Amino acid sequence: MEAWNKEVFRGGSMIRFVKLHIMGVKIAFASRMVYRADFLLSSFITLLGDLIIPLITFLIYTSGASFPGWNIYEVLLIQGIFMISRGIANMFFFGTVWNTLSSVREGTFDLILLRPHSTLHMTMITAISCDDLGVIAGGILISGIALYNLPAPGIINILGFIFFFIVSLMVLVSFAIIMSATVFKWVGNSRVYEIFDAITIFGQYPATIFSKGFNILVTWVIPITMIAFIPASVLLGKAARGIYIAALSSVVLFVMSLVIWHLMQKKYTSVGG
Amino acid sequence: MIKTFNVLKATAFVTYKEWAAYRSHMLVSVFVGPIYFLVQYFIWSAVLKHQETINGFTLEQILMYYGITMLVNYCIMDFAGWNLQMLIHTGKFLTFMLRPVNHKYFAFSQKIGHRLLGFCLEFIPVYLLFCFVFRLNLVPDNFIWTLISVILGFVMMFLVNYTIGITSFWLIRTGGISRMFLLIRDIFAGVFIPLSFFPETMQKILFYLPFQYISYVPVRVFLGSYELAGKSYEISYIVFLQFVAVIVMLLISEVLWKLGIKKFSGVGA
Amino acid sequence: MAFNAEKIHQRRRIKVIIKVQNLKKTYKTYNRGNSFAESVKSLFHRKVINVNALKGIDFTIEKGELVALLGPNGAGKSTALKILTGVLYPTSGDVSVMGYVPWKERKKYVAHIGAVFGQKSQLIWDIPPLDSFCLNRAIYSIPNADFKANLDSMVEMLDVGSIIKKPTRQLSLGERMKCEFIMAILHKPKVVFLDEPTIGLDVIAKDSIRKFIQNMNSTGTTFILTTHDLGDVEQLAKRVIVINKGEIVFDDELKGLRRHIENRKIIRITTREPVSYFGEDGITMIRQISPYEAELGLDVSKMKINEFINMINMNGQIADISIREVPIEEVIKELYVK
Repeated sequence: MEAWNKEVFRGGSMIRFVKLHIMGVKIAFASRMVYRADFLLSSFITLLGDLIIPLITFLIYTSGASFPGWNIYEVLLIQGIFMISRGIANMFFFGTVWNTLSSVREGTFDLILLRPHSTLHMTMITAISCDDLGVIAGGILISGIALYNLPAPGIINILGFIFFFIVSLMVLVSFAIIMSATVFKWVGNSRVYEIFDAITIFGQYPATIFSKGFNILVTWVIPITMIAFIPASVLLGKAARGIYIAALSSVVLFVMSLVIWHLMQKKYTSVGG
Repeated sequence: MIKTFNVLKATAFVTYKEWAAYRSHMLVSVFVGPIYFLVQYFIWSAVLKHQETINGFTLEQILMYYGITMLVNYCIMDFAGWNLQMLIHTGKFLTFMLRPVNHKYFAFSQKIGHRLLGFCLEFIPVYLLFCFVFRLNLVPDNFIWTLISVILGFVMMFLVNYTIGITSFWLIRTGGISRMFLLIRDIFAGVFIPLSFFPETMQKILFYLPFQYISYVPVRVFLGSYELAGKSYEISYIVFLQFVAVIVMLLISEVLWKLGIKKFSGVGA
Repeated sequence: MAFNAEKIHQRRRIKVIIKVQNLKKTYKTYNRGNSFAESVKSLFHRKVINVNALKGIDFTIEKGELVALLGPNGAGKSTALKILTGVLYPTSGDVSVMGYVPWKERKKYVAHIGAVFGQKSQLIWDIPPLDSFCLNRAIYSIPNADFKANLDSMVEMLDVGSIIKKPTRQLSLGERMKCEFIMAILHKPKVVFLDEPTIGLDVIAKDSIRKFIQNMNSTGTTFILTTHDLGDVEQLAKRVIVINKGEIVFDDELKGLRRHIENRKIIRITTREPVSYFGEDGITMIRQISPYEAELGLDVSKMKINEFINMINMNGQIADISIREVPIEEVIKELYVK
């Protein structure tokens, strides 16, 4: 925490957030690089875990079957984009979950409260996870292979993709914030990641496989398919109707997550921790 | 003999109590499990929309496969490897060397206590959910063989996990490597996809690895037909092979343990 | 004459419970390097560094003794303790505890010893200590009647009756340590090894634990404890062994330590005029607080106290003076530094 001197906390709001975040990345990298071999190994293993679903997709298609309406490269593109999105979110934002979990449990959350900056943001930037670079790289590789075997997307598709990819990151960050908030009450729950992992699986497959009712649930109510399926489908030019409603839901989700977090933090601090 | 049994009883009881303090922790499985199963339901319903079978599985059969795999997992999973790794890395393992107790036996007794609670809080609720909400017909083809096979799977899972934990005597800065072992274990035990989906050469190798005997075999025994690498065996025969595999794994773990203790005690250093 | 000596010798031999002869322990550690290139290279070829933790130590301990093992960090105390408890193999030398060779017969041996190793707790975190006690009952095969009797008496001695049914994580460090002790002694071992038993405890808890150890010791249990806390040494130890750099530099009764410092006093003196103490044989300057006030060390074998006072009076007037003993700390520090 020594590197976080008061100097850095000055400056206008938005710029300050970005500056601090970049600082967090630099610090995380510097300390991670001390054990380089360990970093490479850990990144590789994290990547392996995320390759299981693409592997299963591969095995399904090589057995001669398929997801109706989607060829193997289209499905792999969805899963590759999922890896990139999740990798970025994990690296830059998900630290808040683990950080809040351990500081609440050990009673050191008060140290974070003493900083002249948003506590939520502090919990994120002090726990940047470099090991997810492997996942991002793997995702780019798989998406690259998929795109190579598919007709080139048009400019409008690419622009649309960029927009929805950013929305996808927002959805993931919302989940991180909500998970972080639950930890205030449900102290020491390390299975919160498991719950999250289970739910996000629905975003790694073409949403056409879900029943109508379920599709509405995971696209408009809790926009899980926004995480990878919607951006991928836009890039492929196969976007379904209602993607803008899903984008709206994502914004609502984000705002709600912030509200919930601040509520839980207030409750926590008023009780004296 | 009675003394040894008393150690098992005391340890199992203490572990049961320990985990009972984390009831809500365990109950998360009742939420997560069915979610995973729901995904499988959608995936395979879509994949098998325009064809009857895939790799010999009908929709009903493959859903059964995933459902049974999950239920078997609730019966046989443990943290033996993690626990041992933690004990060694924190140095607390010392407290077991200072007492007249066999740690492997202690860890196995812990598993019994832990799974006893898991049976109540994980297996039964999910079983009921599968039966009544997902309408799966969860009746084993032959109850006795299934029971034996699951018990052998219980022991096998313990031995494999414990052996991975033993590597902590040498791999001090692991973190990563044991995670990788556990991932490999699950992939090759058929947890993510039935082993018969892998390329045939791969299947031939998988036959001789200990992993299939953890989960794949008990699940197949439950379903009533075993098949791997293009070969099909009688249930009695594959359960017998499972038994042999357990014995082999036991011997391997004993050898590795002796080597590990030697290192820990600084023999020859 | 010879016959009497023989008999005394025999009787003494029966009383010896721990015998250590020429105990040596050398560790091999590897220099792995920090850069990536170095750590990859280290996978194939490692630079071996030999560390001589113990260079051949000897001592015997008799039944019922209470021995404190002191020494700076890295001196070899923990290594010695680990070898004595059977957890570590020595490089060479002989050790015999209650007739056992600890590391060779470990499973049988440890059933007769108790051990509390600092932060390495035997208590299970989420359940009450009482349950952990019952676990040890099964492990040590303690008959139920004995278990109940031992437990009740120790619970009363340590006054923990109200807390042994609360989950361990709700207890304070002091309460946990007390329960840790109960865990270690439930099976009535004849020898108990303690590694830093009072570390981190508040004054009251330390006192309880020390009284407990004294109590147990008076019933015949032999105690060997390593400690940095000199309060432990002064209150408990009848005998002190100081290990430094793998060798024993002091092995005697506590009184022996004091004899080292009998001749030395610390004097704090304030004078009305500035006085110079240089060059006087027997006086060492510890620190000059001001031209009028100083803290001095006085060797009374070279200059007696009244001589010292006379000398000061010749050069000025004494405004204030205090004379005290050299604390044990200083002696120990000297032994560490040698």
